[in-house]
Amino acid sequence: MRLRQEVTEMQEVTLTPKIAVKIPVDGENIKPDTFAGKSAAEIKALDAWNGNTKMTLSDFFDVTVNGSAAPGETKIIIEGNVTRIKRIGEGMTAGSIEIRGDVDMHVGNNMRGGSIVVKGYADGWAGREMKGGELIIEGNAGHYVGSGYRGESCGMRGGTITVNGNAADFVGEHLCGGIITIKGNTGIMPGISNNGGTIIIEGNTTMPGAEMQKGTIVIKGTVAEMIPVYREAGVEEYEGVSYRKFTGDVVIGGKGVLLVK
Amino acid sequence: MSEMIIKNGCVVDPLNKIDCEIKDICIKDGKIVESVGRNATVIDAKGKLVYPGGFDMHTHIAGSKLNAGRMMRPEDSRLNVVARTDITRPQTGYTVPNTYSIGYNYAKLGYTTAFEAAIPILKARHTHEEFEEIPIIDKSGLTLFGNNWEVMDCIREDNIDKLTAYVAWGLKASRGYGVKIVNPGGVEEWGFGKNVHGIHDIVSNFDVTPAQIMTYLSEANERLNLPHAIHVHPNNLGHPGNYETTLETWDLFKGKTSKRDRPVFHSTHVMFHSFGGSNWGNVESKINVMADYVNQNNHLSVDMGQLIFGSATTMTGDGPVQYANARMFKAKWTNGDTELEGGSGVVPLFYSAKVSAHAIMWAMGQELALRVKDPWRIALTTDHPNGGPFVNYPEVMALLMSSKKREEALANVHKLASERTTLPELDRELTFSELCIMTRAGTARLMGLQETKGHLGVGADADIAIYNIDPAKIDQHVEHEAIKKAFQKAAYTIKAGVIVVKAGEITATPMGKTIWVNASESIPAEAEVAMQKDMDKKFRNYYSLSKANYMVQDEYLVHPHEIKAGGN
Repeated sequence: MRLRQEVTEMQEVTLTPKIAVKIPVDGENIKPDTFAGKSAAEIKALDAWNGNTKMTLSDFFDVTVNGSAAPGETKIIIEGNVTRIKRIGEGMTAGSIEIRGDVDMHVGNNMRGGSIVVKGYADGWAGREMKGGELIIEGNAGHYVGSGYRGESCGMRGGTITVNGNAADFVGEHLCGGIITIKGNTGIMPGISNNGGTIIIEGNTTMPGAEMQKGTIVIKGTVAEMIPVYREAGVEEYEGVSYRKFTGDVVIGGKGVLLVK
Repeated sequence: MSEMIIKNGCVVDPLNKIDCEIKDICIKDGKIVESVGRNATVIDAKGKLVYPGGFDMHTHIAGSKLNAGRMMRPEDSRLNVVARTDITRPQTGYTVPNTYSIGYNYAKLGYTTAFEAAIPILKARHTHEEFEEIPIIDKSGLTLFGNNWEVMDCIREDNIDKLTAYVAWGLKASRGYGVKIVNPGGVEEWGFGKNVHGIHDIVSNFDVTPAQIMTYLSEANERLNLPHAIHVHPNNLGHPGNYETTLETWDLFKGKTSKRDRPVFHSTHVMFHSFGGSNWGNVESKINVMADYVNQNNHLSVDMGQLIFGSATTMTGDGPVQYANARMFKAKWTNGDTELEGGSGVVPLFYSAKVSAHAIMWAMGQELALRVKDPWRIALTTDHPNGGPFVNYPEVMALLMSSKKREEALANVHKLASERTTLPELDRELTFSELCIMTRAGTARLMGLQETKGHLGVGADADIAIYNIDPAKIDQHVEHEAIKKAFQKAAYTIKAGVIVVKAGEITATPMGKTIWVNASESIPAEAEVAMQKDMDKKFRNYYSLSKANYMVQDEYLVHPHEIKAGGN
């Protein structure tokens, strides 16, 4: 067993939630960059602020570790729901995280590389200000997927976010790059203030692309309501299907492209 | 009471003509004294540089525009978050840090006094509330007069006595230190969507000109014999070609002198006022012309307004220029209307080394500091947080002290910084004494506080900064990084005799004083009555509050330090 691990040079860390938390926990230490090369005891001792109280990961999780490797070869598995643990995978650069349940806000925020898979629901601000890597949410997602947090002029700048379920309002606010794919429906105003990213919505939505400066929004389902700030500009093909093309937001002299059926 | 002695340090104290002498400094009861007893605490400063505490004469650290910046920049507040400790409060922010962070960070740089450069009388109460939340350093502020209706009414009536009475009353109402003038007349015009473009343009509803506003206020300033000259942000800030306006403004005061040992005019953040060219495509530095003027004329002093690459939050009483900025950069914008006293604007910007205009401006600030020969008449500032946050002062100090660092830096910025300025040909490197003058001794003297601040002689406040630099051993040309590091984290900062910083960490947080100038006592009763009558009318007809609720009460100055105007 030991020999095999050394050959494959993988590290697998499993976190199993011990208790149901009521006050949010800051889980920014849960990422391959921090866990790589650490033993179970070392990981258990990492800080995890619970509200204004400094606690450790051992207060919330049982931890098992197999092997020891660099961040790129480190996989973290969270066995269960972590609905009150925020900021998992914040700023991670490599490796992978698999969350077998629901997760709280800010999962994968500022992520630069590697991958995160959420099997359940991800709360608001998933992948906010992400710069690279891949975030897959198999369930639904909350508000502000891939957006810039309050005051930021740029949300996601690179990487990909895929939501297999529905996403709530304001998908990709202040997007500056990267690709967001929502396979279900979204709430109001996806791509608000888009400044250069791509959003593909396979389901339905309403009022897309207000204040869009640059970038592309493709809506494969129906758009319940259009904001009257777009100029129709003929027809464009996207992946072999033709769409009505709109450009705008004309109010701010934007050159964004909105493709609607 | 507590006694302390600093031994073996290399003491630089230009006001007392001391340039790196090994000398003991004795401290008792917050003052520097001749000698102390045997039980005094000993600080061994062997191999270290001993300066008077830093004195920032132009910065924006308190008031409603700061809060406007904080509110519109939640993303800034997420930077530099430091949790509270047993002695320090929580800290946040970079360009618009919270009040605690401002106090701690100034102290860490070895600064012990800072002047807020713009207090509208109407908002002064808020400024003082914030002052009382800025720990450690002494604070003071300059009161805005350049667009006040009463000022322009007095000038139209050619009534200098009434104007003088108003300035004295305004200083008391705001508990301010001196006369600040921002884009005279232009901000009033901005209330109607316009601006003035030269010093002889007419301000519509008052039939006065910016030139008159400045000369009359200067006259009032000198009649009151205030410790500081009028402190002016001239018209046309940030417009290519504006150097001519600035020179014209300076010429208004040519040959004038003060009863005090100081110039009659302070021109602030001169970098922003020294552009040649006619648009942002052909903009060029005219700093060589400006610096020659300063070198040939004694009536004025200047400060740099150095630009720092990265994030900045511009905030000024110059409302129209902020509207132009916001439109040009598609940036966030707030506009303030201060009723009968002008206005303001706040716009966050990002200065990039790759943008030609920004690179030129970055070079111009240094050009000014290196070309002006008399360090007593130029102050090191970044116009925090307009040119960049004050925490970057050590970077500016290192740039001015090493032509090698400048050369390295120039290679990494837009090439027009080398072509449109004369920075590459300047090989001057400031000495430790010159730097001391530009950051403490000279600034304290320009503000008229040279008796107690900016020096280490007997009788001075025990505000002292000790840095991990041995001027005898360091090669400033090569070891600029070490210089920057040393200035970033003072080995010791002593404020009023208390060690507030040790090895770059806060060790105590005493509350500093709020310094203000009382000029009311010399005002003739007749002028006072006439002015008050005017003000009663203005409050009745125009202000949104009553005169009884206007003046800052004593309760707002928990740690006041009153200076009487007139004496010297």
